Amino acid sequence: MNAQDQFKHFFVGINSLEEIATREDRVCVLNILGNESRTVSPVSHSYSGGNVVFGTSPGRKGEVLETAVGSIPVYNNVREGMEAGHRFNVGVVYLPPAAVRDGVFELLRINTEITKVFILTEKVSVHDAREIRALAQQRRVDVFGANCLGVADAWTHVRIGGALGGDNPEETLKKGSVAIYSNSGNFTTTIASYLVSGGWGTTTSISSGKDLYIHYGPAEFVFAMDNDARTKAAVMYIEPGGYYEQHLNITKPMVACVVGRWKAKLTRAIGHAGAMAGSGDNAIAKEEWFQETFGVDGLYTPEHPIVSKRGAVVSNIAHIPAALTAVMKLNGIEPDFASEGDLTLKPWFGSNQGLSLPAELDVPLVEPIAPYRQQIADLSRQVGTAFPREPMKDRSGSSIMDAKTQVTRVSGVSILDTARYPLESNYFLALLHEHNDDNDNALCNTAIAAKVDLHGDPIAGIADVVRASGSSPNTVLSAACAAMGPGRVEGARAAADVLIDLFGHSGLHGGDQVGFDFSAIHPTQAQRETLIGSTPDAKANAMLAGLVVRRAHSVFIEYLKHLGGHPKADAVLAAITTTIGWHALMRKKITRTTARNLPWYLRLFSTILGASVPAVRHEPDRFCGVPHADLIGHWSATEIAYLALLGEEPTLEKRFPFQVLLGLIISNGVGTISAQGAKGAVSADGPETPTRVQINKAMIGFMTHTGFAHGGNGYEGVQFLIDQFSASGLKDAGDPHHGIDLAAMSKQFALAFAAEKKARKGVGDEVRNIPGINHPVFKGQPINKDPREVYLSGLFKERGEINVFHDFYSTLVQSLFDNGVTANVFCVNIDAVIAALLLKLLWPRYCSGDFRADAMETAAFTAFLFGRMVGCAGEIDDHINRGRNMDTRTPASQCTFVS
Amino acid sequence: MNIGGLLYGAKLLDIVEFPRAEVLGPEAKDHEIKGLIERCGEVFIKPNFPGGIGKKGKAGLVGRAKDLKTALREKERLYFATHQVGNNVYKSNGVTFEGAVPAEHEVYCAISDSTRFRAPTLTLTHVGGMDIEELPKDKVVHIPFDPLTGLKSFVITNALSELNAPRQIISPLAQNLPKLWDLFHHHGMTTLELNPIRMSQKRPGALTPVACDFKCGFDRDDPRVKRLHLPNDLFSVDYSGFEQEINQLRTYQGQSDVSVINPNGTILAPTFGGGANSLVTEFLGDDAIISSDFGGNPPYEKMRDVMRICLKHWLKQSNVLFIIGGKANNTDIFVTFRAMADALREYFSAHGPTPLYVVIGRGGPNLSRGLLVFKDVLEALGLPYRIFAFDSSMTDVVRYAQTADRWMKGGGRALLAKKLGVAP
Repeated sequence: MNAQDQFKHFFVGINSLEEIATREDRVCVLNILGNESRTVSPVSHSYSGGNVVFGTSPGRKGEVLETAVGSIPVYNNVREGMEAGHRFNVGVVYLPPAAVRDGVFELLRINTEITKVFILTEKVSVHDAREIRALAQQRRVDVFGANCLGVADAWTHVRIGGALGGDNPEETLKKGSVAIYSNSGNFTTTIASYLVSGGWGTTTSISSGKDLYIHYGPAEFVFAMDNDARTKAAVMYIEPGGYYEQHLNITKPMVACVVGRWKAKLTRAIGHAGAMAGSGDNAIAKEEWFQETFGVDGLYTPEHPIVSKRGAVVSNIAHIPAALTAVMKLNGIEPDFASEGDLTLKPWFGSNQGLSLPAELDVPLVEPIAPYRQQIADLSRQVGTAFPREPMKDRSGSSIMDAKTQVTRVSGVSILDTARYPLESNYFLALLHEHNDDNDNALCNTAIAAKVDLHGDPIAGIADVVRASGSSPNTVLSAACAAMGPGRVEGARAAADVLIDLFGHSGLHGGDQVGFDFSAIHPTQAQRETLIGSTPDAKANAMLAGLVVRRAHSVFIEYLKHLGGHPKADAVLAAITTTIGWHALMRKKITRTTARNLPWYLRLFSTILGASVPAVRHEPDRFCGVPHADLIGHWSATEIAYLALLGEEPTLEKRFPFQVLLGLIISNGVGTISAQGAKGAVSADGPETPTRVQINKAMIGFMTHTGFAHGGNGYEGVQFLIDQFSASGLKDAGDPHHGIDLAAMSKQFALAFAAEKKARKGVGDEVRNIPGINHPVFKGQPINKDPREVYLSGLFKERGEINVFHDFYSTLVQSLFDNGVTANVFCVNIDAVIAALLLKLLWPRYCSGDFRADAMETAAFTAFLFGRMVGCAGEIDDHINRGRNMDTRTPASQCTFVS
Repeated sequence: MNIGGLLYGAKLLDIVEFPRAEVLGPEAKDHEIKGLIERCGEVFIKPNFPGGIGKKGKAGLVGRAKDLKTALREKERLYFATHQVGNNVYKSNGVTFEGAVPAEHEVYCAISDSTRFRAPTLTLTHVGGMDIEELPKDKVVHIPFDPLTGLKSFVITNALSELNAPRQIISPLAQNLPKLWDLFHHHGMTTLELNPIRMSQKRPGALTPVACDFKCGFDRDDPRVKRLHLPNDLFSVDYSGFEQEINQLRTYQGQSDVSVINPNGTILAPTFGGGANSLVTEFLGDDAIISSDFGGNPPYEKMRDVMRICLKHWLKQSNVLFIIGGKANNTDIFVTFRAMADALREYFSAHGPTPLYVVIGRGGPNLSRGLLVFKDVLEALGLPYRIFAFDSSMTDVVRYAQTADRWMKGGGRALLAKKLGVAP
């Protein structure tokens, strides 16, 4: 009997399961470049011998989807694909739910040859499902889904729509005699895998979906099964809701798995929209329908194996293979092949953590099955983690800004908290996702201090040339970074590799572990030569001496000493960075790529600090007047940054606000131009080959994406404050007895600004903004506050620190409101805090005439670069580890021409 | 997402100009109630239960009054009335006053999608005002119709003819019932029920169908519901704070369906896949805190956020963290497991350790990397655990998680707490 005779009241085109997924089917995939489709379609296409003729993706005509058996062309729409000469009879829909109905209509109306449509999309509205059903019926087309995972045929080796069998269909879809019809996509594969363990293979597997409308229903399935000579039996996995399974004409043996008795207690559907039952279509009712059909009086369990020749009903999917074997035995049919494995409890991993567990919990571990055993062994040998690669345009695993509070977090730590940490600690936070401890800081400060003096290094001269040409600080530092290319750190990176190779599986958990036994660590001659030289290395010795002074611990430094001979400077640098990164590397918080790049990041840190100072201050034995030994043995990177910027040693009182200033500006999220510049540079080098990415060039990308409007604009706030205070006679901005009437000063400014505003408005000019007040997010309330400013005010208050510039801002916003200039009390924003902090530091030198206006601007801009270097290092490293080649490009379809 | 009663039903019916009884809300002034009684002769006082709860009349929760004093007394009685349906107890918040509509004929009419016909279907009887299930089969018709053309007058007349309905009600129903299709189909409804529709003789010789009660259900996946501009909090009572937090992450790709089963449960079971959800919910029963489907290949950020919210709300009380799913087709195990493991690690960093037994069962793409990443985190956190793959029966893994829960309850939690140096 054909389908037309069987189904009097609605159209069904498929007569046999053999017709559902054939080698002759030709497929068009709608939204082929969507997230799900672009992962799944290449596997389906390859598994099926190349059955997808083209896909659509509006605005992306001309692109292709690469697969192992050739690329699939992409068009804007179905018509274009057909005009290009492609013919197909199957449509696969991966569109978002709101577009599904129109997509199906497009397929049905444009292509008269279409016979089957598979809808993968979840959460298609009932409204659209109704209309899809009606039009498909009118056009005499079979629809599968929605919210399904398509179909697969183990005989024809064809998979259409979805991902049955996952990324390795052959593993699960073994040729056999059982057809599967399942409301759950995942369980279609899981059941197939369970059947294999019972010796049963499959013919056609169908994931039906479980929306309210199931377009290809159980009635159609059992009819097509009856006509399929390959299929000797079937498994149905059924959930509550709907009358699809009532009065089925089942002619071949079947195991029905009905799940969801407990679900009757739920008041809404979870996962499967249609799996909510009314009074007559709950799980118990469905069990009864099947039991009646099979002539059994209960559920099959291993304890009570109730079966008949016609079938069995189970409520546990694990019982399916045994139930099926029992039913088939009554029919005189043996399994398709010897059972492969079993379903007993087999933990691949586990630990009791030293607790005495009862026997039923203390299940012994087993070796994973092939091919996982080998994969796991290989992965276990891998040191550090690996992140899945994905397009990282406008995305970051390093920073995120909270749109509500505008507070950015770097490696999960708020910039309000990074303000409490020194620059060097934040630098490693961005790279290792955890702050340095004191030992780490002692190590990295030694390394930075040892490399900051550029005397005799052409970099100092290059920077001077660029500086003398009138270029901005970011341009000067870009030139310096350009000279810190991969060749300069090759030795240190090789040394880091050697240390990781030697210690990666040694059981060493922390790089600062004391008394670690080296007796099992045996370097090859080549490895030893990478670490140890034949003659003393002055730089190495200087660093080793500094480490002794600082009492820094390092297993790797001890190891270098243990090897005898003369450790190379590169090896000492690598030992320092590997010590700092070891804990994160062993806990798989970072990749090996990051660990081997740490020396490069550290050299760039030193170079950026050093090159910000004119060459004349780099001397053979001292930097900015400070003897090298002193610098290497005692100074922190934060202090060196202060020295480089302001030319003097910071006092304790000055160091804290400077640290806060730098900590606050390390990042403002991945959307900032500076972060985008850094990421673009990585993307262009191709992070999929991470060894080729030039980190110095990525730093240049960050630098060149700052400028007078981004980074340099901090000076606007400084200039504004100078204008207000230049004639005030202020000597010390931290003096609580400064004697300035801030209220009067604010009122004077407010009145003058009001007059200026009125005059400008009168002639139609734009009113200028006051730097440091108001914010696009923190506005509209009677009194507005920037939470970051509130936090920092509290922090300084807690420490009893006074900043007259900050206080002036607080008075000013009130005065502007009191004098009718603003409609409410504007907030003092984070830029004001930064300007106030910076000017407080610079004020004495400004008053003494040491610092002219241009030097003030350079200092403000450079301070920004020092801070932002931290966040951008994090973005660079993140993009190297996660990104794809050229992933920051904007598709042509999203670009516009402006005439 | 259901609405019951005329308080909002009247507003919806007015959109398509379907006649309905007069109604006043809980804020009605005495003179307004009095005016309604004067115009209609009698008012019905009905409690407002969230989400459209049925069978209020049978439970004695519908008052009627012909004078203001009685109406106010009934208002006081019913304002915060409670109503038990199955295991759930609902509490009213306010009442409505609905004007009586004298009529000879009462009609039941409903539109919903039938899984038998796989089409929108009209259910109609001219023996309205009572439970449809209680009527003999020959008194009720179920008529599927084409959604592309909609509910047409001829469908109504055919149905009424089949029922042998009184001829005077046929024409007014044929004129008015098609309006309901516009309300149903274009505003994201999945069911619409008017029971009773009273055939009022407003003019001599001409009957008008007047809706005297209203029920509808909405499709939460249909953006058309927004066209009705219903108050945001109308359906929020359906969701706990936890569910609402998770729902904010809900997208069309699914990935974050969740419902609280037992707020006092001890197994926190993030589940992947609708099938796994059915199975796990079935087996864990009241031990489970939540029922969830986080499948659909969620991206890292979303999975971490979902897990972070789950842990924030439930980890402290959990004995077992049970991550379970079948052999995934498309969900990347590495991405989802890394996200969950990171969220767990972050929870421990922020809140300190908590005694927890971890049981995992999963299969799918990138399995080896995914299992290893979780293993590393569990080792670092010092938690006892077992990780199973797809070659272990899912139901046995569920049983194992329950055994772990029982052990934790029976003293294991205290032992583990002591080892971790925290309070049990």
